[in-house]
Parts: sequence; structure tokens; C-alpha cells
Amino acid sequence: MSQLIARLQIRHVLVALLAIPSFYLTFLLYRSGNVWIALALLVLTCLGVFIYLNPSASTFRYLFPGLVGFGIFVIFPLAYTVYIGFTKYSSQNLLDFERSAALLRNETFPNPNAASYKFKLYAQEDGTYLLYLEDEKDPGRRFASETFELTPGVKPKTPPEPVKLNALPQGDQVEGTPLGMVQINRGKLLIPMRARQFLLPDETLVAMAGLTNFGSRERLWTPNSDGSFTNKKDGTIIRPNFKLGFFVNDKGETVGVGFRTFSGFDNYLRIISDPRIQGPFFRIFIWTLVFSGLSVLLTFAVGMLLSVLLEQKDLHFRQAYRMLFILPYAVPALLSILILKGLFNQEFGAVNTLLRGIFGFAPEWNTNPWGARAMILLVNIWLGYPYMMLICTGMLQSIPSGIYEASAIDGSNKIRDFTDLTLPLVLPPMIPILISAFAFNFNNFNLIYLLTGGGPQMVGGSAGETDLLVTYTYSIAFLDAGTNYGLASAIATLLFILVGSLAWINLRVTGKKVKI
Amino acid sequence: MTSSEKKDVTRIAISHVFLIALLALVLVPYIMVISASLRRGNFAPSGFLPDRVSLEHWKYVLGIPYQEVVNSATGETRVVKAETPPLLWLWNSIRVSVTASIGIILLSATAAYAFARLHFKFRSLTLGALLILQMFPMVLALVAIYVILDFTGQYVHWLGLNTKTGLIMVYLGGISGYIWMIKGYFDTIPASMEESARIDGASQFETFVQILLPISLPIFAVVFILSFIGFMSEYPVASIVLQARSNWTLAVGANSFLPEHQQLWGRFSALAVLSGLPITVMFLLCQKYIVGGLTSGGVKE
Repeated sequence: MSQLIARLQIRHVLVALLAIPSFYLTFLLYRSGNVWIALALLVLTCLGVFIYLNPSASTFRYLFPGLVGFGIFVIFPLAYTVYIGFTKYSSQNLLDFERSAALLRNETFPNPNAASYKFKLYAQEDGTYLLYLEDEKDPGRRFASETFELTPGVKPKTPPEPVKLNALPQGDQVEGTPLGMVQINRGKLLIPMRARQFLLPDETLVAMAGLTNFGSRERLWTPNSDGSFTNKKDGTIIRPNFKLGFFVNDKGETVGVGFRTFSGFDNYLRIISDPRIQGPFFRIFIWTLVFSGLSVLLTFAVGMLLSVLLEQKDLHFRQAYRMLFILPYAVPALLSILILKGLFNQEFGAVNTLLRGIFGFAPEWNTNPWGARAMILLVNIWLGYPYMMLICTGMLQSIPSGIYEASAIDGSNKIRDFTDLTLPLVLPPMIPILISAFAFNFNNFNLIYLLTGGGPQMVGGSAGETDLLVTYTYSIAFLDAGTNYGLASAIATLLFILVGSLAWINLRVTGKKVKI
Repeated sequence: MTSSEKKDVTRIAISHVFLIALLALVLVPYIMVISASLRRGNFAPSGFLPDRVSLEHWKYVLGIPYQEVVNSATGETRVVKAETPPLLWLWNSIRVSVTASIGIILLSATAAYAFARLHFKFRSLTLGALLILQMFPMVLALVAIYVILDFTGQYVHWLGLNTKTGLIMVYLGGISGYIWMIKGYFDTIPASMEESARIDGASQFETFVQILLPISLPIFAVVFILSFIGFMSEYPVASIVLQARSNWTLAVGANSFLPEHQQLWGRFSALAVLSGLPITVMFLLCQKYIVGGLTSGGVKE
């Protein structure tokens, strides 16, 4: 009994140790305005506390940690990606609406009549900076900014939020080390400084007007109550267009920075209707199918052949052979792929040096689409056959040897044994493994990305001849000049539906054999 | 010698010839990489024996300074030393992969126990959903993963972007395949032993820890090795999450030696041999368990 109490207390302590920081984090989240996320974390924490303290929920004690991790890092990213697939979200429409409107509100032009300020930049110990301003006509008006960051030599892609300036009472000193003009220049701080705007307590914006002074600026756009903005200089009016994800003026021209917007099935329609997407999409889809199918078929054939050969009881050195044939599976795949990439190098690689020496013929592994496809398949067979060999060996060993003896009496030979006895016994249980191998290759990102990068380029398109759907989608999302997260996410969703149904079929097939 | 014995001899001889020819295709790339790592200059691997043996790439990878001839006419030399020794990437990779693999075992073993032994609503549905949802390629969820880590990093610094713990957390999501594998193994163990322990007064948790876990060690070894090797090779997520050179994993670092132009094959080869060898040896030593684990997880006859 005393033991029981001791263990219970340890559990209580553990729960408290995990729950308290979690509650604290909830508080932090709430305070910084992320109410919904704070609420989700609160629910999750309470659920955890309940599960680990209440005996009736003991089953879920085993599931909770795993499912929470799975939820955050698999289900949430999936749901988020599906959601992005229904939005217009790309390098042109990057910011959310509020941020895009805020940029317009902060857009300014210099106001020559207003005050001018002397400035000093102070470096702080933690690497941030602080700006000090002093009115040139009225030295009593002094301001110190909150600390802010400057990335040397880099002009931010989107203008950062203005930094607040607070009035500095007479006699107060500014913290940090003052930087001279030389230090500012040498530290490449002028470029990011010019892009910054600062907000005085009276809501006027100031920015660098020359090398030595700051000047106040006037806001270019006046917000109206209906959500539109009026240009102070020429009186034009712009309105947000949620179809385009831009602010548009009366002439239909876009103004300012685009914003993310809900676009329904637009991305999906684009896959079907836009010839720039549709053309490569179907070619890539066919190649993805062919690549996965051939990879599975060929690795299975080689693996099966090897395992049958190595099952011959009268063969010497079987263990040594097995050990060496497994090598491509044992060496980290990433290293093997990169090594083979070097060997297949069209000009200097070992493969072509050898072929040129013996046959006087050097295939174009890198520049010819068919050469590149052949190389990918060869490399993938080389990487994938050991797995099939291991599985097939396991299956062959589970076949009772009696049936071969019986067929030997009937006067059979080895090849007939294989086609009539071994294959029919091995194939049915292999099917789920072949299906998952197909699904794996369907999304074999590493192989293509590291080996060819999708290249060679398709004629007149942004896609590559050896791109799989997964690498094509990746390049739309991250690599292309116009990164398009929305379109990439829509394709990713389609991909998931495809591969997910494969997994579901696999589950059905396996389900007959395994009781779930 | 009877005709059937003669046939056996030719069959075995043909097998040997065929196997040795195939084996050559498998082994030659590795031999060439070893040779490229010992050759002066950064050339793509080709040829078996390095003509001009040099340890410069090994020194570079291990972070040892060495002299390099800059101008062969004047004999001018300079000292080369890696700013971030590539050995550090191997160490980062090992730390990330070992921690993530242990985490994977803890999470998937407990979950697999619930799926194999306990009864609850929607059990088979959850199990199937786990498998199907995991089919979503992680590469394509990178935007979301980036958003999550960027967000957590604002509150918990060591869980943000550019941290190894952040990367480990992301890796811990990939448990469903291993849950299936371990559950398959648990299913082969009769529950009678645990039931009699329960009758003797042991709690559910005690039977799990003291009876089921010890006899399941082989499958944990398999899960550890497979996940370890998987994480060592993982490239896309690591390349997005880890930005600082000193934080890189082996995969990111090794690929950084081979950009489109100026491919540093010598350095890459030395790093590949240095990091590939221990993992390969570990795998080969545990081969027997791995074969058992691969066949026990998916398929049941």
C-alpha cells in the first residue's frame, strides 16, 4: 500500500511538472493576443491532466503523447495545406489583408515644411538598436525609440512596422553605445535604416531625410469608413478587391502589396484549364506512374532473383553474399544517391569513362530526358532491391521444403518449381508490400531532388523532364521565381488523395490477412 | 557423375558467376568513393586507386588544418581549415537521430500497446487513419511546418526554427508506421502471461513495463535502427528548419558540397566514408533482427 502511494505521488509530481509550464505558456499566448491557440493549448493540457489523473481514462494514457505529436506535426500541417489550397497565396499575395492595409496606411511622402531632427543610433548589448532624435529647432523635444533590429546590408522585402518613439524627459540618458556615421556606414546599417519608419507620440511618422537628419513625413493614403483609401496627393480612391487579392483604383490598376484571399476552387480549376500548368501536369503524372510502377517491378524482380539464387542450399559463401548484397540498404540512402550522381556524371563520371573505353559510346545521363530517366531507374533499382531481397528471403524461408521434394518426385525442374510453386505462394502476401513500395516511390522526393533536381528542363516550361509530382509541387512552392503556395497546396492535396486511397486499398487487402 | 549431379554443378557455377558480376556493380561505387576521398583535388569518383594520394580531404572533414599549394609555379601555400568542421554535422545528425529515434520508440511503443491490448472505441478506425494520414508527404507540408516552428519559437526559444529540438519535434510526428510495426510484434506475443500477472495483482502499467517491454526488445532494436537511418538521410525538412551552418545535419552538409557548379567531390567522399561506415556496420550487425522486423510488421500469413 505504501508503495502504491509512493508511485501515485511520483505520477502526480510528473503531471504537475508538465502541466505547470503548459499553463504558463497558455497564459503567455493569451496575453500576446493568440486567444484561439491559447484556448486549444488549455483544452489539450486539461485533457492531459484528466487522462493521467483519472483512473477511468487509463487506456488513453498510452495513446495521448503519440496522438498529440501526430496531431501537431502530421494532421495540422495536412489540414493547413488543404486550407492553403483554397486560397490565393503566393509571392504576389503574401501578406494577410490587415498587414497589407497597414502597409498602405504607413506609406508616406516627405513633408518639407515640417520639423527636422538630428539623430543618433545606439547599439544595444543584445545586438538590437535604439534611435535617439532631437528637434533641430527645439532641442527640448527629444525622443528615444524602442529597441529594434537591423539586418546589415539588407533592405527588407516588405516594409517593417514603424517603431514607436517615446518622449525623453530632460536629463535622461539613452542606453547603449552611440555609433558614429563611420561605424554606421561600415556596419552597412544605412540600407536597412532607410527602410525604417518611426512613429512619434503624436502619431506622425518620421524617416531618414538625408544622411544626417530625420524628417517627418505625411501619410499618403487616408482610410475611409467603407474600407477604401483616398490618395492625398491626387485624390484617387482605391478599394480592396478580394477576388484579385489587391487594392484596385478606378482604372482597374493594382496598387500596393497583394494580400492572401480565399479563392475557392480556383487553384484546382487552374490545374485543369491553364495550359501552362495542365500540359506539364499530365506528363509528370504519367511519368510518376511509370517511374513508380517500373521501380517496384524491377526492384522486386532483382530482389526475388537474388533471394532465390541465395536460397540454393548447395551454394557456397551464401552468408557472405547476403551480407554484401544488403550494402545499398545499409548505407544511408542520401550518401548513396549523391555517390551515384557523381558516377553518372555525363562528362567525368566513372560510368561514361568505362562505357567510352569499352564501347566508344557515352549516354547523355544529364541532358537527354530519356538518359536521365534511365539513370533514375538504374539508381533506384540499385537502392531498392535489397529491401525486396530481404522480404523475399523471409517468405521463401517460410515455404515448407516438403512441397519441392514432392514436385521433384513428379519430375519437375528448378524453373518450373519457381513459376508453378514459389511465385504463386509468394505473390499474394507480397501484394501489400508492393503497394506500399509503389506509394513510397510515388512520393520519392529525395531520389529525384538529389539526383537530377527534376532536370533536364522541359522545353518552354518551368517543369523538369524527370520531375515527379512531389518534386514539381515542391518547386512550384519553394523554388520557382513566383512561388505559389496556393497552387502547390492544391496539387499536394490531390497527391494526398491519390496516395491516401492507395494506402486505403492496401489496408483493405492486408485487412483480410491481419485482424486489426 | 550422374547427369543430374552434372546439372547441379553447372547451376552452381553459373550462379557464382552471375552473383559475382552483380556484386561488382554493387561494390564498385563504394570502392571508388573511398579512393576519391584519398585523391588530391576534387574530382568526381572514378578509378580504383588514387594516383596522387593525399589526406587533405580527411583533414578538412576532421577539422585539422593542412597546407594547400595555391600556386604551383612559385610553390606558394596557404593553410586551409574548415570554418565549421564537417565532423560537427555528423555529430549534430547523430544527436538529432538518436534523440528522435528514442522518442519514436517511447511514443510508438505506448501507442502500439493500447492498439494491441486495450479496448476502446474507434480503435481500428484510428489505426487505419494513422496509416493513411501519414501518406501525406512531409515535404509538401513544409509551409505549415515552417509556420508552426516560427510560431513556437516566439514563445519557447529552443523549439523554434534553426534549433535541433525543433527538428526533433517535427520528426516525432512520423510514428504511425512504427506503431503498426510494433503492434504487429505485440500481436505475436500471447497475452496469457500478462493476464496471469494481472491476476497476481500487477497493475496494467507494471505488466506493460515488466513483462511486455523486455520480450519486445528485438522489435525496438529494429525500430531504432530503421528510424535512425531514416533520420540520418532526411534532407528536405532539415534543410528548411536548420539555417545556421553550425546547426546543419550530415544530410544538409553533405549536399552542400555538391552544388551545381564547383562540386567538391573529394571533401564529400571523405565525409561520406567517415559517416557512412559506422552506420553501415551497425546495420549489418543487427541485420538478423531487421529482417525479422520487416517481415513481422506488415505481413502476417
